[in-house]
Amino acid sequence: MSSGAGSGAVALPQPRRLGASTSQLRLKVEQASYAYAATDRSAPTFTLGPASFEAQQRELLAILGPNASGKSTMLKLLAGLLKPLSGRIEVDGAEVSELDLKVRAQKIALVAQESELLFPLRVWEYVLQGRYPYGRRLRFESDEDCLLAGNALAQVGADALRDRWMDQLSGGEKQRVILARALAQQPSLLLLDEPTQHLDIGGKVELLRRLRRLADENRYTVIVVTHELNLAAEFSDRIVLLHKGKCPRIGTPAEVYERELLEEVFEAPLEVEIGYSGRPRVILRATR
Amino acid sequence: MEADTLRERECGEVPRSIREAFLFGAFTRAARQIVFVILILAFCLANYAGAAPAQAPTYKRGMKFVTDETGRRMAIPFSVQHVVTLAPDLTETVYALGLADKLVGDTSFCDTPPAAKLKPHVGSPQTPNLEAIVAMHPDLVLATTSINRAETADALLRLGIPVYTSAPHTVRGMLDSIARMADLMGANEQGTALVAQLQSRLDAVHARIAELPLVHVLFVVWEDPLITIGQNTFIADALRWAGAESVFVANQNWPQVSMEEVVRLQPDYILFTANHSESTKDHELNRLRTQPAWKALRAIQMGRVVRVDDEITKPSPGLVGAIEQIAHELHPEMFSSDARGENFEHRTGMRMDVLADTRQKRECDFCGL
Amino acid sequence: MRPLTPQRILGTCLGLCGVLFVVAVISLRMGAYPISVRDIVSTLFNAAAGRREEVPVEFWQVVFGLRLPRIALGILVGASLSTAGAGFQALLRNPLADPYVLGVSSGAALGAIVSLIVAPHTVGAIQIAAFIGAASTIAAVYFLGRRGGQLDSPTLLLAGIVAASFLSAIIMFLLTMVTGSELRSIAFWLMGDLTAPPPTTNVLGWLGFLFFVFIVAAGAMYTTSSDLNLILTGEQEAKHLGVNVNRVKFVVYIAASVLTGLAVSVSGAIGYVGLLVPHVMRMLFGTDYRMLIPTAAIGGAIAIVLADTLARTVVAPTELPVGAMTALAGAPVFIYLMRRRMR
Repeated sequence: MSSGAGSGAVALPQPRRLGASTSQLRLKVEQASYAYAATDRSAPTFTLGPASFEAQQRELLAILGPNASGKSTMLKLLAGLLKPLSGRIEVDGAEVSELDLKVRAQKIALVAQESELLFPLRVWEYVLQGRYPYGRRLRFESDEDCLLAGNALAQVGADALRDRWMDQLSGGEKQRVILARALAQQPSLLLLDEPTQHLDIGGKVELLRRLRRLADENRYTVIVVTHELNLAAEFSDRIVLLHKGKCPRIGTPAEVYERELLEEVFEAPLEVEIGYSGRPRVILRATR
Repeated sequence: MEADTLRERECGEVPRSIREAFLFGAFTRAARQIVFVILILAFCLANYAGAAPAQAPTYKRGMKFVTDETGRRMAIPFSVQHVVTLAPDLTETVYALGLADKLVGDTSFCDTPPAAKLKPHVGSPQTPNLEAIVAMHPDLVLATTSINRAETADALLRLGIPVYTSAPHTVRGMLDSIARMADLMGANEQGTALVAQLQSRLDAVHARIAELPLVHVLFVVWEDPLITIGQNTFIADALRWAGAESVFVANQNWPQVSMEEVVRLQPDYILFTANHSESTKDHELNRLRTQPAWKALRAIQMGRVVRVDDEITKPSPGLVGAIEQIAHELHPEMFSSDARGENFEHRTGMRMDVLADTRQKRECDFCGL
Repeated sequence: MRPLTPQRILGTCLGLCGVLFVVAVISLRMGAYPISVRDIVSTLFNAAAGRREEVPVEFWQVVFGLRLPRIALGILVGASLSTAGAGFQALLRNPLADPYVLGVSSGAALGAIVSLIVAPHTVGAIQIAAFIGAASTIAAVYFLGRRGGQLDSPTLLLAGIVAASFLSAIIMFLLTMVTGSELRSIAFWLMGDLTAPPPTTNVLGWLGFLFFVFIVAAGAMYTTSSDLNLILTGEQEAKHLGVNVNRVKFVVYIAASVLTGLAVSVSGAIGYVGLLVPHVMRMLFGTDYRMLIPTAAIGGAIAIVLADTLARTVVAPTELPVGAMTALAGAPVFIYLMRRRMR
């Protein structure tokens, strides 16, 4: 397990998690960087990286940072939607941005903000669409596909929703179904882009618990992009902290959640304490 | 790895079976590559195959080849027993030639003479029912470019039914058409007689007014928007025969013009068609006197409005009567001599009163024939 | 969970084809010319056996010269318009899209008018010119509708609307220059007319060619039907699932536009069919495009043949234009569908 390059941070020895000794390396980011510029020749307006980190099987990694810190860009790089200007991003040993579209979809499932559905669709039809990467363009789903889609629904606990219409679901139920579709892709890597945005606190906890369970029991590698400090601390194995395109710290929550660092990154008066579960907890200091 | 195998398959390898190929896209991929060649081939083939005409079924009677006035060539039987007309003016012509018993079908618009209304109808001149026409077993169908669509004639010709389309642009052209149609229908003598009579009536009018300058008129086809006639229409030609000329010179057949221009040009007379409306000329005149732009016209102020019979719009024998009517109204002094007037009236039953409603003339116009 | 199988699609299509067959037979029977079913059947048999001489001339004229070509053309036009409508609704992500929204029919109309002005008496010139007009519009709107080199649905819609308005303005200008008889022809063409004679005398070859183009275009669209299902849940989501969205959009755009151009060149702009038939088929058979495309095609054929039959028998012997019939029937169906969506 590696820790990230930071500005003057001391690399603390990593406590090894139980049972993770022979885990397969799923994601490997090596000095990946990206830059946005207004035109081809002008100076870049925003630079991300270079960043390096890894993610194993059964790991839940949080990419944490305030707005405009480069989280979405990092996510797009991981998903292969953008090609890094330098460095490599590998999933299962293959460079993501060079993968064929379908093969990429077999390895990486991205759960992002969903669009509105135009026409009514049943839940199981929606989840079955996740099997698209496996097969020819015009395909008819096989029994295996149905089985896997059913499994995906079970994994998110949405079995009962099978025959419901998509537009009749509540927000939380819809989240689960979208997650199920992503799981139906049987990905090596599950990427989620701010999944807790529209959920209330109960929903947020439920989702993160489910993701945790998926990582632990079903061996997914989950990467969550978020700005929720406490949820990230509570549920993730490691955190990649982003600040204005740079990675000041990569490590376990205990390592990353240092008061001065967090205050600098999030630009808010914060206090870090150890919560009930042994993981750090961030609270707001007096604002007046 | 499974994914790689699938990917290989994606890249266009030979499919295992036809079912697999058809269902899974390799077929369409190949088809896409040769589709343009096939398209071109098919098109050429279709055209080539169509080079031999699959047309005219055989008639038992003798046939002659005829070219109609639009340049179409067709075979018409020597003896024509069943005729279908597709326009009111053609129906009039058929009646005027005395061939009413050969007429087996006309359009729902044909109301002149009234007996025509009782004939079986094939629909409107624009959309005649082709099957109804076929059901009447016609030897000849008459059409005209002034109201029928070219597609109708084409479709009937495709079925092997001869369609003679007349294309009248001038009054003399119309007379020639009548003569030709009479010849086709085996009524040569009636045709010649009719044409001669119509021609003599025209000559009579022409004789009286040839020396006079042309009267400038505005011929109103439609009031709102204001549409008048172009110089290439046969109405314009008819007006010239009647000693009148449209104030507008336009190449379009039915130009839309502005009232301001009319006011500037100040025509001597305004000509309206009766348009099947019931209102009298006085009523129309009073109505126009209240309209904003119209009342600025001297012609309106002086009451120089002529309500022309609908016949002026149709290239039929009745057109000559309409020409006479207009000539009388525009140059009353040339026709005012009692003796001449009486003769004329006796011949055609027209009344000389300028303010008269000209509709009653219609029935008697054929009496003199 | 019952996924869609090819067997189910084929079964449904066969059922619909049966309905189409019945409707076609009824349409073959109806007409002003008195011919009994027995005579129709005997004519068909004799034709199949090659014994043309045994068939009375007029029977042949009516069955093969008038009714059958009309029915065949109706099937083709209906199938093309509905398939194109379904494609555009997916491409533009808009349930209100119909085949004419991208200006193809205006381009075809312009071509038709130009041909009437330039070559008024050439048989079939109007159809070829209309198709050229349609093809040019397709190309122009494609280039206008791109953003960053790729087709972008909102931009495409805007480009199409702009093209349609511009072309309509030119058409209006040209209409004032056109004389009486051509005006009549173009008016009928614009309203939708299935009786226009084809450019060649070989009617069978002409129909075969048209059907071939239809099969190619509709087939191309069908290969993207799985992709369309995914794209309808969101373009980004589809991309993440491995769909080559740009390629799919391009194929659907070209295929649907070619189908529209084909239909409009041959028979003018018949409205409502391309908009409503896909919706009705969705209500009956679901929104899966692997089922929708074939059922919409057959459904559209049924609709047009029905409308045409009504158009020529309702006010006999006058014939209403087919477009008038589809509008009369289509408007209530549209209102009904709208109310269902509101609920």
